[in-house]
Amino acid sequence: MTSSPVRPEETKRRGRFSELLKVQGKLALREPNGVLGIGIPFALLVVFALIGSYEPGNTGNTSYTVLDLYIPIVMVIGFLFIGLGLPSTLVRDREIGWLRRVSTTPVHPSRLLAAQLVINLIFALITVVVVIFGGDVIFGAALDVNVLFFVLSIVLSIGVIFSLGLVLVAVAPSQAAANALGGVTVFGLMFLSGLWTPPELVGGPLATIIYYSPSGAAVSALLDSAFNQVPPYTTLVTLVVYTVVFAFIAIRYFRWE
Amino acid sequence: MVDHLRKQYGNLVAVSDVSFSISRGEIFGIIGPNGAGKTTAVECISGLRTPDSGSISVDGFSPQKERDRIRQFVGVQLQESQLPPRLRVGEAVRLFASFYPNPQDTDKLLESLGLEKMKNSSFKKLSGGQKQRLSIALALVGNPKVAILDELTTGLDPEARRDTWELIEGMRDRGVTVILVTHYMDEAERLCDRLALIDHGLVRALDTPEAIAAMAGGNRVRFIPSKPVDDRTLYAIEGVDQVERKERYVTVYGTGDLAASVINSLAKIGVSASEIEARTGNLDDAFVKLTRDDGSGDPGATPG
Repeated sequence: MTSSPVRPEETKRRGRFSELLKVQGKLALREPNGVLGIGIPFALLVVFALIGSYEPGNTGNTSYTVLDLYIPIVMVIGFLFIGLGLPSTLVRDREIGWLRRVSTTPVHPSRLLAAQLVINLIFALITVVVVIFGGDVIFGAALDVNVLFFVLSIVLSIGVIFSLGLVLVAVAPSQAAANALGGVTVFGLMFLSGLWTPPELVGGPLATIIYYSPSGAAVSALLDSAFNQVPPYTTLVTLVVYTVVFAFIAIRYFRWE
Repeated sequence: MVDHLRKQYGNLVAVSDVSFSISRGEIFGIIGPNGAGKTTAVECISGLRTPDSGSISVDGFSPQKERDRIRQFVGVQLQESQLPPRLRVGEAVRLFASFYPNPQDTDKLLESLGLEKMKNSSFKKLSGGQKQRLSIALALVGNPKVAILDELTTGLDPEARRDTWELIEGMRDRGVTVILVTHYMDEAERLCDRLALIDHGLVRALDTPEAIAAMAGGNRVRFIPSKPVDDRTLYAIEGVDQVERKERYVTVYGTGDLAASVINSLAKIGVSASEIEARTGNLDDAFVKLTRDDGSGDPGATPG
């Protein structure tokens, strides 16, 4: 027999992970969070496209239409629902002893966590596609994407929100606590993303707070790069710092049991 | 399979000094009152916890140092462990099968556990008995050499308990070594080849269920002597601890093969016994006696 290019153990490991991914994917579709994370941005997009059609032209003294301004906001809101819905499931899996149960098998529960992250990442990318496609093709926003910085902005936005989600997983003692914390955080970050007060339209200290907030910075980086500008480096650095700090806290305080 | 499973681990923790060895293919029971340290002990065996001192070897491997090896061939059913509510029976079993190098046929396994009709049901829709059976399925799907089952039948109705017992007997027939943690004496008596009775983190007894039951001295023989016999004669018989009389009946309590020694001894002095009724002490009596006897153990043992 000829030697196979892939060791049997390696094939087995991949097999295990794909089975885990399959099961976690099915479970995610049965839970509301992932689906909300794609559905809500699309619904908001429709709302703001309608508002935009009654108020054509640029908003205030910006160079953006209503729809333009809200494309990055609804995208970030999608990330918030997905990334901060994650704690609910993971904390429950820990609370009911499922992670512990998995830890008695040859598969470490970190693989389960990884599978869950991959599934949620896929949801987040679907949100990106839905919002871009909806905004650009259906509602006719004149996106002019700076691909390099847009991709970077998406990576950092997802990084910041998912790592914050993992902080909640680490600190929440129960699913109820995770839901409460997640809800408050989603609401706060939704406000700071500018859903009610686009940063381009507010001034004073609130603008500064939004500018340096995780969701505000994410929205601003996405807005700039979606319209062929390079986001200010302070915005990008803000996102990197948040991601690093959140990831550190999450890893430092993470518990499997 | 589990050769020389030994561990002593000191301190005021749940298990202070426990040693035993389990032979391949036997059903080994760990009994004891709540908080005796049973669960802590088996969690050390499965590698979920690390003992403070002492050593454990499962088929030559250390559950702590070689946990990856242990997890390949030890199936664990945890007390109070649940599955994600929307996970379906078939999915759960197939998922666990994918974790092991040489799993069982999942359809056959579910059928043998009477779960084949529930394949597409979510975990949250299952009854208590079905959840337990699924839990056993997950512990067995990897074809383990050793299965650790913790409080398996707690909360089950009598019929489900009996079904579960048959399952465990079936596991022994397949050559699986079973470590069964329970606080039900009837379960231990019926299933286990040998038992360790743990209390306050110490092994109080380690033997077959029959031998442990006999240790409690709960044996009793009641009879009608053909001629009056005085107490002194009766107390002189080997194994007799106590004598009671009621009308014509004499009842003696004691240990060992009481009926035979009473009848033989009485025959020697020309007395015959009629209407003999013998009752062997059961595990319940032994349990109560052995766990109440000695209060010197650490009363602050944490619940296990």
